Amino acid sequence: MAVSYDPKVRPPRWARALLRYYCAPHLLEEVQGDLDEEFYYQVQKAGARRARLDYIRNVMGFMKPFAIKRKPTATPSSPMNMNMYRHYLTVAMRNLARYKAFSAINITGLALGMTCCLFIFLWVQDEKRVDNFHTNGETLYNVYQTIYADGQVNADYSTSYRNREGRSRILIDGVRQAVPEIEHMSFYATGYELPWGHAETFQVGDKLYKLEGSRASEDFLTMFSYPVIAGNAKTALKDLSSIAISRKMAEMFFDTPEKAIGQSMRYENRLDLVVTAVFENVPAHSTLKFDFLLNWESHMTRLEWATGSMRTMVQLSKTADIQTVETKMNRFLQAQLDKKEPVKIQLGLQPYRDQYLVSNFVNGKPHGGRIEYVNIFTGVAIFILIIACINFMNLATARSVKRAKEVGVRKVVGSSRSSLIGQFLGEAIVLSFLALIVSLALVHLLLPAFNTFTGKQIVSPITSLSSWIILAALMLFTGFVAGSYPALYLSSLKPARILKGVMKFSNGALWFRKGLAVFQFVISIVLLIVTVVISRQTSYVQHTHLGYNRENLIYIRVEGELSKYDKYLAFKEQASHMPGVALVDRSSEAPHAMGFVVDVNDGQRETIDDSDAIKWEGKERGASMGFKPVSVGFDFLKIMNLQIAEGRDFSRDVSTDSADAFMVNEEAVKQMGMKDPIGKWVSAWNKKGHIIGVLKNYHTHSLHEPIKPLIVDVKEYEYFGVIIARTEPGKTREALASLEQVYKAINPNYPFDYQFLDQEYEKLYRNEAVVARLSNVFAVLAILISCLGLLGLVIFAAEQRTKEIGIRKVLGATVGNIVTLLSKDFVKLVAISFIIAAPVGGFLMQQWLDGFAYKIDLAWWIFVFAGGAALLVALFTVSFQAIAAALTNPVKSLRSE
Amino acid sequence: MKRAYLGEFEELVLLTVAVLSANAYGVAITHEIIQQTGRSARLNQVHAALQRLEDKGMVTSKMGDPTAERGGRRKRLFSISAYGQQTLNDIQAVRNHMWSLLPNAN
Repeated sequence: MAVSYDPKVRPPRWARALLRYYCAPHLLEEVQGDLDEEFYYQVQKAGARRARLDYIRNVMGFMKPFAIKRKPTATPSSPMNMNMYRHYLTVAMRNLARYKAFSAINITGLALGMTCCLFIFLWVQDEKRVDNFHTNGETLYNVYQTIYADGQVNADYSTSYRNREGRSRILIDGVRQAVPEIEHMSFYATGYELPWGHAETFQVGDKLYKLEGSRASEDFLTMFSYPVIAGNAKTALKDLSSIAISRKMAEMFFDTPEKAIGQSMRYENRLDLVVTAVFENVPAHSTLKFDFLLNWESHMTRLEWATGSMRTMVQLSKTADIQTVETKMNRFLQAQLDKKEPVKIQLGLQPYRDQYLVSNFVNGKPHGGRIEYVNIFTGVAIFILIIACINFMNLATARSVKRAKEVGVRKVVGSSRSSLIGQFLGEAIVLSFLALIVSLALVHLLLPAFNTFTGKQIVSPITSLSSWIILAALMLFTGFVAGSYPALYLSSLKPARILKGVMKFSNGALWFRKGLAVFQFVISIVLLIVTVVISRQTSYVQHTHLGYNRENLIYIRVEGELSKYDKYLAFKEQASHMPGVALVDRSSEAPHAMGFVVDVNDGQRETIDDSDAIKWEGKERGASMGFKPVSVGFDFLKIMNLQIAEGRDFSRDVSTDSADAFMVNEEAVKQMGMKDPIGKWVSAWNKKGHIIGVLKNYHTHSLHEPIKPLIVDVKEYEYFGVIIARTEPGKTREALASLEQVYKAINPNYPFDYQFLDQEYEKLYRNEAVVARLSNVFAVLAILISCLGLLGLVIFAAEQRTKEIGIRKVLGATVGNIVTLLSKDFVKLVAISFIIAAPVGGFLMQQWLDGFAYKIDLAWWIFVFAGGAALLVALFTVSFQAIAAALTNPVKSLRSE
Repeated sequence: MKRAYLGEFEELVLLTVAVLSANAYGVAITHEIIQQTGRSARLNQVHAALQRLEDKGMVTSKMGDPTAERGGRRKRLFSISAYGQQTLNDIQAVRNHMWSLLPNAN
């Protein structure tokens, strides 16, 4: 067929490439030829455009098995393959056994990496399970409120209420009727947990216990999956006097859950309640912790509130649109608000299961929280695994001098590149399998320690199928990543050159591996910096002077008989004279964690005209600042060892002090803008008085927040608060016995329950402590693993330079010379890593420290320390091998030529 | 079954190979089928059929000479084998026989 051939018009290049890619080689020539011929024929007949389309269509058309299937090559039939596989395995095992040190380093490195990964995985899984176990989880939402006031935006999970007609009314109480998408709604009172809250006392017969619990609406037990084992979940919280209790509580009082139903319990020696339901003990994965639930109506009308903080949870219908519901809820809310209110409140919905991980608010929307730790640790896990894989690559490549001859022979005999790649990948997977076994054993051994470490109760998940799938995936992933570079590299070697004995690495390959080492050290140094900063900050928090002496302080809640003024005075009088007790006094709040703040714009303020709780001389109208008020006894300053900046302490000798005297802290003076505070008037609620003294600032709450304005007055008759006792140093036991004796005599209906202030203070930083401990471990691991990698590099370097070292020794080089020669390069690597790691670590830690109002400086020595430590460890590792290389007899290394 | 099964399209391709005798290769066969029967045929179908026919031993092939319009590539030239010829004859014989049995033929 005569077709004129115009070389300018060509079929689409990509289609040609595609054809070349898929078409079996033995058919390619004729098919390509036919397609080209047809193409030029079509160009003539229908034009270039049509021809191209037709060409593409043809290429697609040939994508059929007959064209793709490769011609079977003569050799591999399946039994032959099996032989080869067996042979590969034998070779792998022989290599393992022959180079024991290498194999041990490899497997240990990988196993450490995997162990880390598994632990972090377990932790992350556990974190994600929190609040995520409810059957209705998909449709459960937390209501959060955003408050706009004075140009500030604040958001939290609390629910606004107003005091009207002598009772407290929740603003969105009726929203369920107004928004049809809300299927269930429940309120839940928070603030009954420690440290701010307190346990409450129950009595049945002569059994007397303190337990922590809360109050919730009728729907609570049906919305959430806290399984009810006796009684009816739907009606359990319906009646005013109903109480639902946990299995634990039922067993404490009534032996079995079944016996508890219908029984009566005395609550706080004040009310008689009837047990209507027993629920299974609240699982560890629930953020709400309670051993009992009381009726909500009871809470609103007749119970003592620990705080005004209440949560609202809703269950929406499956088809509900969140935004619509939010809009409807807000419309309902606005109708309830007084027009004169100075604040603007808006409601939002957050999926209930997110509340644990995403509990911080930024600009009035949920954003960040523990999820950041989860992400960071997931990142760390991946990094550590990658570091371990990099080691494997480094060590395997280092050893390639030894394996190269094998590769050469295999290639000469006829092995294809793909089967070599397969072989080396297979070996890597075998190694990672061994490492996995080691790491599983490690996980099993270390799990109890890990649990105490993190304060979790994770069980070994060996039984579930999904965890096996994940383990297999982890093994394959590690094997592939670790084995990829050696496999590609070794299989690319040219047999002629290897067998001639020329084994040279391209600069690129060397750089690549040095880059890997730098990468590892960057991570190690960053982790070191993190560790140092976190542990320094933790110790700063623990040892910083708080402005008071927190040692030897015990506090007891004021309740029962102690709420009465005369009984309190009797207690104070008797206890102070008992052995071991130095001083006794009181405060309306535990002094290390004062949670009560007034006059902050939290949405509870009624109107602008409504008098603010705290006022002072020269106060501007509408000015508001977050005051912490506290009412104490006369000896409070003495018992706490507080310092006075100006003025005088409260005194029993001054008759007006119990009614007229206030003390404020320096921060309050500063924020109120007073020049000369002594003698100026201030008022708290209905009590008006004068400032008699200024306290030096001291920390009334965790160091995450700055010191707030404080206002102190004397109210020894207050019916709530804590009794503080200072014990004589070293006599804690006597003091406790004394206090218990006096307590039992005065307050027999309540069990004696006490807290050590310094221990409670440390609990405020439990999260930080966990992170500190975890990062310690990870830093050590990262350094260890990086050193294994470095060891690989130096072994390789020494092996490459065996002859050079031999010649140098013959010519008179000392061991020191040679060690320096080998170590020099690695010092450079560590130095480069340091230059990269220091700013990264510094930036990360600055971010973290910004979460504290009181923090350490990022001192230069922290960086020097981290860099120096990394360098020392690196030098130690390197010299280990370098000295061995330098000590070998040159005769051995030189005679082979 | 005594003889190998031959699909309708395969039969057509086999016939075309026989018709084109010395010059039977992919493009030529495709164009011939299009011209002579008026039906559409695509290269890949023809190639697939040719391969099946070769597997069945009804055609044999050898590589021809390179030409410019094929980008200097050679073509695979097909010729009908004795067995292929025999099969075509058999089919024809069966058909003729059947036609002759048709009562109202012609």
